Amino acid sequence: MFDRDVWQEIFNTIKTNKLRTFLTGFSVGWAIFILVMLLASVNGMQNGFLGQFNDDATNTIFIRPGTTSKAYGGFEAGRRIQLKNEDLEYVKQSFADDIEYLSARYYANVTARYKSETGSYNVQATHPDHQAIEKTLIMSGRYFNEADLINKAKVVVIGRKVAEDLFKKEDPLGKFVELNNLSFRVIGVFTDDGDDNAERGIYAPVSTYQRIYGNTNNINVIALTYNPTYDLAKALEFSGKLEDVMKRRHKIDPEDQAGLYVWNYAEAFDNISSFTAVLRGIGIGVGFLILVAGIVGIGNIMVFTIKERTKEIGVRKALGARPRQIINLVLLESIFITTLSGFIGLVFAWVILAAVGPMFQTPAFSNPSVNASTVITATIILIVAGVLAGLIPAMKAANVKPIVALSDK
Amino acid sequence: MIEIKDLHKSYKMGSNSLHVLKGINFKVEEGELVAIMGSSGSGKSTLLNILGMLDGADSGEYTLDGVPIKNLSETKAAQYRNKFLGFIFQSFNLINYKSALENVALPLYYQKVPRKERQEKAMQYLEKVGLKPWAHHLPSELSGGQKQRVAIARAMAAEPKVLLADEPTGALDSKTSYEVMDLIQQINDEGNTILVVTHEEDIAHMCKRIVHLKDGVIVEDKKIEQVKAAQYV
Repeated sequence: MFDRDVWQEIFNTIKTNKLRTFLTGFSVGWAIFILVMLLASVNGMQNGFLGQFNDDATNTIFIRPGTTSKAYGGFEAGRRIQLKNEDLEYVKQSFADDIEYLSARYYANVTARYKSETGSYNVQATHPDHQAIEKTLIMSGRYFNEADLINKAKVVVIGRKVAEDLFKKEDPLGKFVELNNLSFRVIGVFTDDGDDNAERGIYAPVSTYQRIYGNTNNINVIALTYNPTYDLAKALEFSGKLEDVMKRRHKIDPEDQAGLYVWNYAEAFDNISSFTAVLRGIGIGVGFLILVAGIVGIGNIMVFTIKERTKEIGVRKALGARPRQIINLVLLESIFITTLSGFIGLVFAWVILAAVGPMFQTPAFSNPSVNASTVITATIILIVAGVLAGLIPAMKAANVKPIVALSDK
Repeated sequence: MIEIKDLHKSYKMGSNSLHVLKGINFKVEEGELVAIMGSSGSGKSTLLNILGMLDGADSGEYTLDGVPIKNLSETKAAQYRNKFLGFIFQSFNLINYKSALENVALPLYYQKVPRKERQEKAMQYLEKVGLKPWAHHLPSELSGGQKQRVAIARAMAAEPKVLLADEPTGALDSKTSYEVMDLIQQINDEGNTILVVTHEEDIAHMCKRIVHLKDGVIVEDKKIEQVKAAQYV
């Protein structure tokens, strides 16, 4: 099948019909160009979406209280749910094996002052584990630890922007900053890949803040990461169990969507994956439909070629060519033309994307690019297209009667 | 070598049926050189098509070298053609983008002979027809007589049992015709069985036997004194 004679014949037909081959090949190349561009755009979208989550641990679950919307367990609807330290302890003890890191979040708005500079910031009072959950990067100093938590130490870790705003050129480490007129020692400065906004935050030990706010044991959010070895199914099972347990504990109707939110990143990832998978499917579908025009074109030129070569095919059959050999020849030629012109389109798309792609860096769309799976997809589509295009002409060729070679009078 | 018994063939032309061959009985021994003559419409082309396994008969028997030829699939027919038959056409039917050598090697390609071996073999046959120096020329660079000699070399390359020549001199002037007939006679003298379809009397008389067809039946079948083509060359 891959011997010299077959290729000699393919090249000969292409050579004798250069313009015709080019024009039909162009439609296939163009279709693949569009297909690759579409797939690259989907890749870009996926990159954009995933980029938004990258700064957080991807195995994170948040538990947020809400307000019940259904009467349940003797309580009327409209009850506000409040999480407390005991809930955190309960989660910790119930799911010891599932949990990697666990932290409370207690929110407060503060006015911060250092010397003559003031500013308004959000404080997230958390456990030390929160650093790992939020992937907080410490630029200098340290994050607070268990000892700070137990001692209810008045220490804070401030964002890079906060440091810039309040301390200007000074090194904030070891300095005291006033938050709502209470003095806290700065023990660390953090940065965040996600966005500048996160760098306008302040972290403090949760115990410290609970004491400041009237010795409360309220917390706003429970944040945790689960065992990173869990796959999607196991992660979803775990967050489901967590939701059930917490709802039972707070006497919320299991069907009540508003009483308690358990938000699992894995679910969001799953959604994005299936969303981009659908988009990719649509891309392949649209690309293939455009390719159909090319397939018809190639099929057309092949039918022409076969018609012109009817006599030659007849002679070959008289000399002992089997129908299979004739079909193989035609199919191979068709696959060769489609694949070659397709790859030219692919290379064009790749060059353009390599040049232009890196310029796209918006949150929803970043670095559209051709990856291995795109190339493999395109190749498979091209070979399928080549076979489709060659099928009818090949049948036609196989049906040529060798008599035509004799009846030349 | 060839044995035909009560062969019938008719073509459907709309609602009419055209009875072309009306019971042909015919036998060719090994080493014969037979001319099949007849005016157009006499059925000689149809007979050649059936002999060449390019067309099937309606009824009757056809045996080639002891093998019954009947109800062949396309693939089987292709195999038998390749093994048993060599074709020589009026218009040569060389493949125009292949050199003389590659044209001769083509039947060997379909026999799956390795490339090197078939090139060597093809060269031998080209030498035999006196065209070794033209081996790498394209058909367009050859004269009519040379083309037909390449075609004859091609027909012989697969070492078939029978050579079928359909008006081999039909497209040639008389001098070249005699050259080609001289070659055919030489091949025949080496013991090859050859059937020549022609409507030219002088060509027919260069064979050893003439079969006359008329309206689908054999009207005359006689052995003749062979005229050597060499004397005209």
